[in-house]
Amino acid sequence: MKTSTPIIHTQGLAMQFAGKAAINHLDLTLEPGITHAIVGANGAGKSTLFRILLGFMQPSAGQAWILGCASHALTPEVRGRIGFVNEEHTLPSWMRVEQLVALQRSLYPRWRQPLYDEIIGHFDVGPRQQIAELSRGERAGVNLALSVAQAPELLILDEPTLGLDVVAKRAFIEALLYTAEEEARSLIYCSHQMDEIERVADNLIILERGTLRHVSPPDEFTDGIRYWIAEMPFRGPDPHSVPGLLEVQRIDGLHHYLVLDTDDSFGDFLKQHGARSMHSMPVSLDRAINGFLAKGHRVPVAA
Amino acid sequence: MTKKQGLAISIATGDSRSISKQIVDAIRIKVAKGELDSGAQLPSVRGLAMQLSINPNTVAKAYAELTAEGWLQARQGLGLYVAEARARLSTEERDHRLNEAVNRFVNEVVALGVSHDAALTRLDQALRHVMRRSA
Repeated sequence: MKTSTPIIHTQGLAMQFAGKAAINHLDLTLEPGITHAIVGANGAGKSTLFRILLGFMQPSAGQAWILGCASHALTPEVRGRIGFVNEEHTLPSWMRVEQLVALQRSLYPRWRQPLYDEIIGHFDVGPRQQIAELSRGERAGVNLALSVAQAPELLILDEPTLGLDVVAKRAFIEALLYTAEEEARSLIYCSHQMDEIERVADNLIILERGTLRHVSPPDEFTDGIRYWIAEMPFRGPDPHSVPGLLEVQRIDGLHHYLVLDTDDSFGDFLKQHGARSMHSMPVSLDRAINGFLAKGHRVPVAA
Repeated sequence: MTKKQGLAISIATGDSRSISKQIVDAIRIKVAKGELDSGAQLPSVRGLAMQLSINPNTVAKAYAELTAEGWLQARQGLGLYVAEARARLSTEERDHRLNEAVNRFVNEVVALGVSHDAALTRLDQALRHVMRRSA
């Protein structure tokens, strides 16, 4: 089922709660067949966005489409093509694993038992076990296996590895990445775990307070951010005049700048302001995203 | 017929280089050191992705870059192989990259305040160590 219809498309989408904007005029288009990672601080609007996209909530303004269908008018058939895994991994605790699998199989016409078997093989879960007996990591495994075996065209994962130990996390990521990759599934992966984002993301989307702040492959994002250390006379230039400033700190008399700097012109700026010495270095994705999101919460330069 | 060999490389998250760039660097070093001979077959995209627990598209991107630079060569339907050692980049491109590398090195070393001779000696040793086997 190859298609170029965007998996997600929003136009001027807005959502207000008691006068506060949870989604703020969001225009977002995500192409199919790759893994999109959505990153944002708590309250960035991710959960609200998913509720609107899945038709559980009406936006205050604007429109949203998922798999080419208007979100407010999703049919059961379209819903059946979307898988959703959230951090709760809530499953009916009174059921046995095999009962739950049988139920899902009857609900989803595209059910693929081999996919379920392959994914559950990453976890130590037996069919006769009661859901309530499973650990959090094992529940996450069952949840992922159930969602993938529905053979969804779009799989949305909202902080799926939250609270999992390192072993379960690794099993989860591997099960996710290497199962049936020939199907070119579209994935949306929300996480605060930057190491996971680095491992899984083809495309990086940064949301902040309901606004789209950035979209590009992760390495293009990090390429545009650099860390400079300079020896500046006196207190250095006024932070408000520093172009592309994300973060500034004064440590041991040196100025440390994290800046948006796509063309290396920041060195010229420092020279113009009398830098006695300076050097710059690239930063990790983790550092880049943190700096980017921390911009609104800038720390004043210490004396 | 070439034999399959494993590719003993590792990547780290949280590095300032992207994972794709780390793979490119690691394979270039292996070829330069002679640990990967020309004609050696590379792991499949999916295989290396599984080995490193990363998205297969990231491996594909690294392989594409190495192929574009002439380090690797695709054989129809068979996979990727280390290319014959020949001029792997155009002269201008090589000049350009050498300049960049020298600038980076100089910037770092100047900041360290090491003497000119000490820096050159260390650079010479490091290059000899890498180039010995590929000469």
